[in-house]
Amino acid sequence: MLGYQNKVLRIDLTNRNKSVEALNMEWAKKYIGGKGLGIKYIYEELKPGTDPLSSENKMILMTGPFTGTTVPCSGKLAIISRSPATGTILDCSIGGHVGAELKYAGYDAMILEGACDSPSYLFLEDDKLQFLSAEGLWGKGAHEVETELQKRHGRDSKVLCIGPAGENLVTMACINSEYYRQAGRGGIGAVMGSKMLKAIVIKGTGGVKVANIGETLNKVNEIMRNDTLTDANLWAYTDGTPMIVDMSQGAGILPTRNFQDGTFEFSAGINSESMQKSRSGKKGCHSCGLGCGNFTKIGDAVVEGPEYETLALCGSNCAIGDLGAVVKFNQLCDDFGVDTISAGNTTAFAMELTEKGIKDFGLQFGDVDAYLAVPEKIARKEGIGAELALGAKGLARKYGGQDFAMEVKGLEFPGYEPRGSWGMGLAYATSDRGACHMRAWPVAQEAYGDVDCFTIEGKAQMVAELQHYNSVKFSTILCDFWALSLDTLAEVLNQVTGESFTAADMEKIGERVTNIARLFNMREGFRREDDYLPNRIFKDALKSGAAAGKTIPKEEFEKMLSEYYTIRGWEADGSISQSKIEELEI
Amino acid sequence: MGLQFHGDKCIGCKLCHLVCSASHEGVFNPRLARLSVESFYEDGVLVAEGRVCTLCGQCADACPTSAITMGDDRLIFNEEECIDCGVCVDTCPEGVIIQKEEKIGVCDLCGGNPWCVRSCPHGALSCEEVLASEEAM
Repeated sequence: MLGYQNKVLRIDLTNRNKSVEALNMEWAKKYIGGKGLGIKYIYEELKPGTDPLSSENKMILMTGPFTGTTVPCSGKLAIISRSPATGTILDCSIGGHVGAELKYAGYDAMILEGACDSPSYLFLEDDKLQFLSAEGLWGKGAHEVETELQKRHGRDSKVLCIGPAGENLVTMACINSEYYRQAGRGGIGAVMGSKMLKAIVIKGTGGVKVANIGETLNKVNEIMRNDTLTDANLWAYTDGTPMIVDMSQGAGILPTRNFQDGTFEFSAGINSESMQKSRSGKKGCHSCGLGCGNFTKIGDAVVEGPEYETLALCGSNCAIGDLGAVVKFNQLCDDFGVDTISAGNTTAFAMELTEKGIKDFGLQFGDVDAYLAVPEKIARKEGIGAELALGAKGLARKYGGQDFAMEVKGLEFPGYEPRGSWGMGLAYATSDRGACHMRAWPVAQEAYGDVDCFTIEGKAQMVAELQHYNSVKFSTILCDFWALSLDTLAEVLNQVTGESFTAADMEKIGERVTNIARLFNMREGFRREDDYLPNRIFKDALKSGAAAGKTIPKEEFEKMLSEYYTIRGWEADGSISQSKIEELEI
Repeated sequence: MGLQFHGDKCIGCKLCHLVCSASHEGVFNPRLARLSVESFYEDGVLVAEGRVCTLCGQCADACPTSAITMGDDRLIFNEEECIDCGVCVDTCPEGVIIQKEEKIGVCDLCGGNPWCVRSCPHGALSCEEVLASEEAM
């Protein structure tokens, strides 16, 4: 298949050597690249029960056939490992230009094994790999490190790096690139930190060849004009994700005060309109015409963002309606290398624990000063930060409050209140890496669309289909923001690879990828009892807004979950039978 | 006709680089583009820098074999005449003539309908009447 480099760079950090091997093309035909192919490699190579923060865990950077080409929204890199936050499979997606750079260096993937014995970083320049000392960089913030590394290796080099949170093995640590882009969730930064790897610097001077470049150029240009830069997608350029603040407020699903409510009285302070007043530039990822990045400047606080998830979790969910404070919190999280979703969610949980007198963290809803000190404390595990670094699940285990620790499998909820969009509850419960909005986003049809939010009818089917769609999209590898059909996806994939995939093949690959992720989790002991939501969702009714008075009744959730397993052809306990594995040719 | 770069509209997606290399070299490789457009953060500021062929003609003047000549509205490169001396690459004040493994590449405006302009999602590149306005001066 064309579009690939047909090469994998395997790096043994323990012994400081590398080897180059052919990409497994049999797997590539079945899993394409990115999420799917990365999970396949991890599934086959990782021993069951591997400690995520041990040198036995691996971390894979995986591109796809679209990476480095003009295919719209293909500027993503998948990073795959076993999550130290959840123990599940973990695939993250990071934007910017680093994925394309790996491909230009001549590789489809980089597999990192073992661990360095002292703080180090890698510099890959085409086929040349150097193991360099991170002395002087260790302990520094991600922003300073990236600036320094580009000074050393040239502005045309691309950098993946961690902040102090990753070094200190905080299980909500992220990996940064281009200052403000993150592989955020599940503690992928801690995996890198456990390998004593501060950064990976990549410079590639080669190119990517596709099946028919003339046809690809014409087809992709036509698709960009007629299918990407359209009203259905251009919100990403005009507003970006902050647009969702008003949508969530209107639908009553804007997480507020640790999910105690679904509307926020100061939401107008953190919405898109408010952000546009402070916008000082637009930025897009490699090959993406949508350019969703909003560069925002308020006083001395600058950030590319905040994205909706940050506005919701670090804004309304902490009862912070001051955009300047959220921008600052976002900047600190990026620099210290902490995921804003988990940090915001856990901070809000600590605020509620304080409010209820269960444990005093000195954090109050709406108190900006104490809140702004949190990112550094978490990253350095200092003071209350040592506690908050446990995440919502760890904190609840230690101090109580499990019913309102808003997490699934140890991953904190993102910014959509499931009581006001019941399908979202199923999406969180069954997502492969814990509570995540990137595996299925049924709120688009429910809370923001015209499908009844408060029924389980049709939701199991909807969530399963959305999971397949995102699984194949993230395997090719495309960004979430291009709402393309599976027909178009197959068409573009065929232009690039020279193969003849159909929309039905895309659907099947999506199902296969979803299932292999589940198989990994199953092997680690995850079953039906792990596919649950915190009791607050079943018991406490929302107070205000369009979903006021609503819970998801537990028996309704049980029914929806059972139906979901039936639709998937899974067993009643949530496991996958041998016959299903064979049917999907996993 | 000549290219012009409008930094305030650039989002740094590199599509201009990619279509340039693809249409001329048959490969997606941003380092083989006959223009240079970068968007990056420097000291907390988002900077967009663009360099494109301005049709200044210095390469044509410097070329010892007249392999590069000035056409009516664009550069014309005659590969057979090129002796691969690299003088044009060094001469170009914008640094947008590429040195390939063999011979060089100049911006030929894709014969009048530049791919970079057609592919720029937000109009950061345009084709303007450079020569005509200079003649008028």
